[in-house]
Amino acid sequence: MLSVSAGVSVNPAGVGVRTTSGRGFTPEELAKQCVEKIIAVSDTAPPAIRDQAVTFGDRIESVILQYMQQVVRSDRTTVYNAINEAGHPELAELIRRL
Amino acid sequence: MAFTGNFMCTSFKKELLEGGHDFTNGGDVFKIALYDNNASFTAATTDYTASNEVAATGSAPTPYVAGGGTLTNVSPTTSGTTAFLDFNDITFTGVTLTAAGALLYNTTEGAGTGTTNSVIILDFSGNKTATSGDFQIVFPTPDASDAIIRIV
Repeated sequence: MLSVSAGVSVNPAGVGVRTTSGRGFTPEELAKQCVEKIIAVSDTAPPAIRDQAVTFGDRIESVILQYMQQVVRSDRTTVYNAINEAGHPELAELIRRL
Repeated sequence: MAFTGNFMCTSFKKELLEGGHDFTNGGDVFKIALYDNNASFTAATTDYTASNEVAATGSAPTPYVAGGGTLTNVSPTTSGTTAFLDFNDITFTGVTLTAAGALLYNTTEGAGTGTTNSVIILDFSGNKTATSGDFQIVFPTPDASDAIIRIV
């Protein structure tokens, strides 16, 4: 009798859930999440490799954060102009000041 | 009845062997529905249900609607002798909801349309609440040890 077996499994830790109240995620929070997706280093990795990965992650997070902040500013400019051109300058000004 | 851990539906295991689920990017369309703590799922669960699902809430572009949100498949890959798959994280925006767990299901199982074949049940380990905010589901690191679904 010959049989072949393989285990199909779901991660016992499942998924993570992040929530906010009264606001959306900030660029800082999203940049951190982004780096966690890009870089993973094992707790058992040699210290030199782990330190290098952590340093690289910090630098990447800084760059991502900078661009995310710029995305927010640029999108706000686009929204400001769209609302202003639609004849709602006061509302547009409120959004610009956010 | 509360959620009791993360587990795979038995019907899904059978359908895997029948080639009913295509997890490649652009393959089958998988959705994730959120439930309150009264939901009752077991390994015998075969399909999506609206019973105890959280109410529709939120604002464009990604509100929570009945049936849940559509996931983006990350094509399966391998590491060593383990095969695994992943999904992009999903965020429901501007929502007010409390969820204790989720059901992931396939809406195009077996090349069909409008199917609701269950895949896995996910336990959030308690109620998670967003109030006029964002509710984000973060899938684990896609590697041989941590990916959400693995074949070892």
